[in-house]
Amino acid sequence: MTRDTGEKIDHKAVLAAQLSNRIGRRSFLKGVGVGAGALASAGLGLTPDLARADQAGHIRIASLSHIDTLDPHFTFFLSAVQIINNIHNGLLKVTFDGEAVKFEPDLAASWDMEDDTTHLFKLHEGVKFHDGTACDAEAVKYSLMRVKSGDPKSPHAWKLELLDEIEIVDPLTLRLKFSKPYAFLPVALTGSTGRAGTIVSPAAVEKYGMDYGRNPVGTGPFKFVSWKDNDSIELEANPDYFEAGMPKLAKASFMLINEPSTAVAALVSGQIEGMNDCPLQLVNQVKQVPTVNLYGGVEGNYTYVGMNTRKAPFDDVNLRRAVAFAIDRDAVVKQGYFGLAQEAYTPISPPMTGFYDPNIADSGRGQWFDLEKAKAFRAKAKTQGDIEVTYLMTEDGPGGTRVAQTLAPMLAEIGIKVKLELLEPAAWVKRMKDGDFEMLDFRWWADLDPEETLYPEFKSGGSWNYWGWDNAEFDRLCAEAGAIIDTEKRAELYRKAEDHLMDEAPVAMLAHIPVYKAFAKKVEGFQYVPCDLVNLHTVSIA
Amino acid sequence: MLSQAAGKIAQTLVVLLIVSIASFSLLKLAPGDPVLLMLGSEFDQASYDSLNHALGLDQPMIVQYAQWLGNFVTGDWGVSYVARADIFNLVVREALPVTLTLTACSLGLAILVGVPVGVLSAVKKDTAWDAGAAVFALTGTAFPSFFLGILLIWFLGVKFGAFPVMGFVPPWEDFWAGLYHLVLPSITLSTFFIGMIVRVTRAALVEVLDQPYITAARARGEPGWRVVWVHGVRNIMMPVVTVIGLQLGGILQGAVLTETVFSMPGIGQMLTNAVLGREYMLVQAGVMLTAVMFILVNLLVDLSYPLLDPRLRPR
Repeated sequence: MTRDTGEKIDHKAVLAAQLSNRIGRRSFLKGVGVGAGALASAGLGLTPDLARADQAGHIRIASLSHIDTLDPHFTFFLSAVQIINNIHNGLLKVTFDGEAVKFEPDLAASWDMEDDTTHLFKLHEGVKFHDGTACDAEAVKYSLMRVKSGDPKSPHAWKLELLDEIEIVDPLTLRLKFSKPYAFLPVALTGSTGRAGTIVSPAAVEKYGMDYGRNPVGTGPFKFVSWKDNDSIELEANPDYFEAGMPKLAKASFMLINEPSTAVAALVSGQIEGMNDCPLQLVNQVKQVPTVNLYGGVEGNYTYVGMNTRKAPFDDVNLRRAVAFAIDRDAVVKQGYFGLAQEAYTPISPPMTGFYDPNIADSGRGQWFDLEKAKAFRAKAKTQGDIEVTYLMTEDGPGGTRVAQTLAPMLAEIGIKVKLELLEPAAWVKRMKDGDFEMLDFRWWADLDPEETLYPEFKSGGSWNYWGWDNAEFDRLCAEAGAIIDTEKRAELYRKAEDHLMDEAPVAMLAHIPVYKAFAKKVEGFQYVPCDLVNLHTVSIA
Repeated sequence: MLSQAAGKIAQTLVVLLIVSIASFSLLKLAPGDPVLLMLGSEFDQASYDSLNHALGLDQPMIVQYAQWLGNFVTGDWGVSYVARADIFNLVVREALPVTLTLTACSLGLAILVGVPVGVLSAVKKDTAWDAGAAVFALTGTAFPSFFLGILLIWFLGVKFGAFPVMGFVPPWEDFWAGLYHLVLPSITLSTFFIGMIVRVTRAALVEVLDQPYITAARARGEPGWRVVWVHGVRNIMMPVVTVIGLQLGGILQGAVLTETVFSMPGIGQMLTNAVLGREYMLVQAGVMLTAVMFILVNLLVDLSYPLLDPRLRPR
């Protein structure tokens, strides 16, 4: 399978360029199960009227990252998706039982596959958008077409590239036909990570046009009330929400706060009840606050050192291999990520259920710290003696400039003298995209499927492949895996693809990073989903 | 006197013109193509060209500048690239009142504290009082405001729970709640200012108190407080007002940090977010507005001299 559209899109780079710091994060949370229980009991025997009477309380949550728009089909920021997801629903949603990530119907009451390219969705009856119009098969088709071929073009259009035909079987049933089996479809059709599957009110889109992002109308548990720049985004309960017993809160405010330590102070002093993100440098401090619960874990991401394979000295595979084995990941985790991250051996990260190998450390696959091995590869390198390289760094991301400074002495051990060059984020991104660098560290963030974590990033000639790495076998393996639905077979293909990538080492892996959210203890029923976010559907305040 | 004022105003207009050119160049020199910012990652050449044309970016630079200046003067500040919000509304109606309120409170606090402390230390020159005031003033001037803000947040806000640590409530909607929210930010922002005022007040008053007319007033048997507060303070108004005028630029600068630390939706926080979100038109509007405010205040200071000191009035 080829996915040529992937070439034109550069949303990760745009994302990185637009706002470098904390592009938006998705949490992966462990040991959760409380929310599911609360949900089940809330759903039992409650009439909508009773549920309505239950809505009380006002939650205020610090939102620490930039929010560009509340239009799900156009946002580049996960911090925006966090809010969007409380206003809208997707055709599918991501669920998490504490162990595994699953994709389940959301606005769809059921989801069937008639064959490996045809999907049948039956919608819930009587669901209405906040403007009172019906959310039926026509509305769903409208949203999907807005993503696939709308004008202006959605940055998520590529996710529906393989969608050939949408057939409206009856007012509540749709048949989606794809041109090929599409392994990424479950992710694509969610309202959260996929964005492509978020359903918006056609009437509102027609009414507001380009300004829909400031006047979003969905079917979600909360209605949009107002967005005051640099201050807050206000939501109120949707009393007609289709899932019984939700929401429980009457109001929710996302306070737009720039300074994380102010948010922590406000949380501790009770001026707000939650934080959409707790930066790594504050995690250990927040852990000690008795009135606050911290939720978090390693998520679908990886950080790495990228090397420019198009020019000397890193056009030499043995020199790259030497770098890959010369990095003491344990030290990087301690000094770069406050001891909170997990060493990465390959790109596929822990939340990718069925693809991630929990025993990867003992498998002999991937890259790890082995100075002897690094020196052996270094001895085979074309250039012997000291090599001087320029390493571009910027104050951005979970590691800031700390990672670069931690790595410099490690590379000196194998005769690579690193000249650190500090740049402003926009200039840094530009040099990376122009291929005007020798070495830098970067990250890919918030992925749930190997399809999105490997292929667009390292595809030969791909626009995210800043390293200029070229490997036809890697391309073939990824393309094949993308058109197979069976997880085990896919996993096998991705493992082979990863082995090529790790062996030729255009990048040296560093770590998988945890993402944290903080809530006051009186906030109850927060259900963690591994992909996004701050879903307030089941949240209440004691 | 009128011709003097007219001259000052003409000077100010020239300065404003220069500032507007600098402000305009800022947008042109900033990295990133505004059309790309607005279109996102996916577009074709036709939509690029049409937007480029709609924004007037295909016009010669001088035409663009004239258009921009004309629009700016008439209050048509355009729509921000990414958020698509009306800039005039955002900057002038929403952010400016917050910053002005914060500035006014800090300024008021600085004058209420700074002038009396300065006067006292001048009157009690070379005593422990004077030394104490000098230490107080120096510490206030030297202490970085963002750090003081964080200290205040942690001690007064979190530890003792005495004041809110963030946010802004408009005092014209709820006066006491508004004032309550302004306590910590005003202290943070005014400390630097207080130090300056104390030093200037003291220095000026020490000099004034040596003047013959003060001796004369004392000889007439006027009470000490009257000598100092009426004859003395009236004659130090000029340097004090000058320092306040000049430092207002500093206070606006401090407002960027203070608003960020206390998460107040003023010009400072708006500028920070605009820079992070690459909303250059917002940055430009914010910079222009700040410059206009600074220049206007200095004009007012200049114009106030003849009122403060009769000797400067033309005969």
